[in-house]
Amino acid sequence: MSEELEITELETSELLEIIHDCLYDGMAEDVVAGVKELLRRGMSPYDTLTQGLVAGMDIVGVDFRDGILFVPEVLMAAKAMKAGMAILRPLLAETGAPAIGTMVIGTVKGDIHDIGKNLVTMMMEGAGFKVVDLGINNDADKFIQAVREHQTDILGMSALLTTTMPYMKVVIQALKEAGLRDKVVVLVGGAPVNAPFAEAIQADAYCRDASVAVQTAKKLLAEKRNQVMVG
Amino acid sequence: MNSNPSERRGYRRERKAGHASPPPRMSPITYGLPVYELLNEDKIEHLHQASMRILSEFGIAFYDEESRSILKEHGAKLQGDVVTFEPGLVHEYVGKAPSQFTQLARNPENNIVLGGNSMVFAPVYGPPYVLDLEERRREATLADFINFVKLAYLCPYIHHSGGTVVEPTDEPVATRHLDMVFSHIKYSDKAFMGSVTSAENAADTVAMAEIVFGSEVVRQQPAVLSLINVSSPRRFDERMLGAIKVYARARQALIITPFILAGAMGPTTIAGTVAQQNAEALAGIVFTQMIEPGTPVVYGSFLTNIDLQSGAPVFGSPESQLGLYVSAQLARRYRLPFRGGGMFSSSKIPDAQAGYESVMVMLPTVLARTNFVLHAAGWLENGLVSGYGKFALDCEVLGMFHTWAKGLDLSDDSLALDAIAEVQPGGHHLGTEHTLRHFRTAFYRAELFDYNSAEKWQENGSQDSYRRAHKKVKDLLAAYEPPLLEPAVEERLRDYMALRKKAIPQGVY
Ligand code: B1M
Repeated sequence: MSEELEITELETSELLEIIHDCLYDGMAEDVVAGVKELLRRGMSPYDTLTQGLVAGMDIVGVDFRDGILFVPEVLMAAKAMKAGMAILRPLLAETGAPAIGTMVIGTVKGDIHDIGKNLVTMMMEGAGFKVVDLGINNDADKFIQAVREHQTDILGMSALLTTTMPYMKVVIQALKEAGLRDKVVVLVGGAPVNAPFAEAIQADAYCRDASVAVQTAKKLLAEKRNQVMVG
Repeated sequence: MNSNPSERRGYRRERKAGHASPPPRMSPITYGLPVYELLNEDKIEHLHQASMRILSEFGIAFYDEESRSILKEHGAKLQGDVVTFEPGLVHEYVGKAPSQFTQLARNPENNIVLGGNSMVFAPVYGPPYVLDLEERRREATLADFINFVKLAYLCPYIHHSGGTVVEPTDEPVATRHLDMVFSHIKYSDKAFMGSVTSAENAADTVAMAEIVFGSEVVRQQPAVLSLINVSSPRRFDERMLGAIKVYARARQALIITPFILAGAMGPTTIAGTVAQQNAEALAGIVFTQMIEPGTPVVYGSFLTNIDLQSGAPVFGSPESQLGLYVSAQLARRYRLPFRGGGMFSSSKIPDAQAGYESVMVMLPTVLARTNFVLHAAGWLENGLVSGYGKFALDCEVLGMFHTWAKGLDLSDDSLALDAIAEVQPGGHHLGTEHTLRHFRTAFYRAELFDYNSAEKWQENGSQDSYRRAHKKVKDLLAAYEPPLLEPAVEERLRDYMALRKKAIPQGVY
């Protein structure tokens, strides 16, 4: 928050608005200050997350989708979100609040196209997910190891070549063999990938772009958690 | 009239028999216009110096141990995966590359010169989808691949058979490179491109070229030209390095192309992006010359930008055209053949957007005197789609460029003062001796663009150029006859493929 503004003097509703603005403008330090202030006032970590950060990033998401915000602006917003999350994450864990989720993502073996994957990572972090980015050229072992290591909710794979797309199936097969397939939501993407292909390899969904990846991740994860609770 | 009746009868017969002869050929363009120099020498030097800084201070990553040790042995410095090059080292090795070379074709008439004033057009490369004659966007097959090879063979303005004209997705990944190379050899007699997706695939390509041309011959002159992409920013991946090593050791030609979407893989400014691209291309070229001095190599540029609002790639942007001019200038500075440009578009169908964008890039491509123009026909949807109709329409424009880029002939015959004297004020030129000598070839006649009156156009079904393009493609494919391939050679190729298909593990997919 700018120097002139004394955040301790603001109404909580005003403070939330200001946090939304700071996220929108990608001002990480100010977001952190705002989060700390909310916590100081006794707001629960979970409410701080949902009312402060997630609600703010929803506005960013909508304006990106509608062609108002540019990619670098979303990146800065995501960084600000990440900074806020760094404070909240340990507190959320302590209070046993449901985490938004953890995603492991990478391009598959043989594929080095990573710009799309980087965009997805950015948007997912912006939505509050913890993202473990494995980079390029990952074989099944690396994916599996990471899924095991990081309490993974979502596995994202990216492939831009029709020659590497089939490797996604290999990874899904390996997940099954490792007994992990039911534990994670598998999302796939990349320009030549499509929905029928995702279905054929038994992924959970195909994501056309980074915004769709966020929506799909949220939706499928919620469904999954519901099922677990019901079942 | 200077033609006697019996000659005219002969001509009539010849015309009727026309379609049985081999397809018409055009040689690559010998560029005859002034080369467009966007920057003066000092400014090009300024860019060069920026690239030297990138090479000597920031470095380029090489993700392959053997490649790094070759680089180190020849004087480059390593820090982990990252390799730095002093300017002296760059000059020394770039200087070993030929400024011009010939790629062999199965039909020697189709051999192509790469470099100098020669401009070679090749078809689109890479798309996994086609937009077919029923206007369906669907996954490409080997049958599509063969069709595009045939079309490139039949189009006089395409001088080269290209490479992955479409990705044949119905063939197993592990062996489809064999089918692609074979199809280029079998269905065309123009020069072709090799597989780069692994060192093994590159070795198969070389082996098949040796069967066709003889192993001694291909060591003297390259029969394969292959497209190596730099994985910008500033990295070469293991597959590409594997392919470079195989081809350079076999003395086959390479195009080293950084493919930069500015804003994502390079800065948002064209100057910075070109400086980075130049450093990346030079690093690859230096590497080829360290492996085998004299390896024929082309300086490549594939430069455009992403849409920083949506994150999607953009093809046909005005910024990319500025980058193209300057990239060509840099290649000339190093006396290397240049690859760049093409008939690019982001459009999904061959509509007005596709036409405008394609020509907006192709004009600078020609004015920059680009020696090798990949993607000269068929490109749609950011390279995800090869369009049949787009291919035919692009070829029409390539024909126009053939006429235009030759420049103006100022010979006496071209000045035609005799004809001007012959026609009295207010007369006409339709029947002069000069016209009768020239009328058939005087003007480029577009087949797919309509010059008729509105009434006649309506009579013909009010078709737009896209419809006419489809009909043309159908007619061409129906009338296609393959060039001769010696049965013994074909058999050896088939044996080789069968052997390899047995030996290559199919993997899980
Ligand atoms: C949850 O998980 C998810 C969810 C959503 C996901 C997701 C994961 N991943 C992506 N998404 C989705 O969200 C993203 C954001 O909205 C989107 O991501 P995208 O990646 O689609 O979009 C990006 C933001 C921008 N798009 C891109 O960055 C890709 C653009 C195109 C033009 C492309 C580029 C730029 C490159 N390339 Co390559 N390249 C092409 C591409 C053609 C195209 N139009 O897509 C394609 C894919 N390439 C191709 C080829 C052939 C190749 N490329 C190669 C290399 C390269 C470069 C390195 C030069 C460069 C990439 C650099 C980099 N750092 O990434 C080579 C292979 C290298 C390798 N081992 O992988 C090489 C083999 C070329 C060669 N001869 O060397 C073609 C593929 C053909 C096929 N068989 O499938 C191609 C269609 C272009 C063409 N016509 O040649 C969505 O798809």
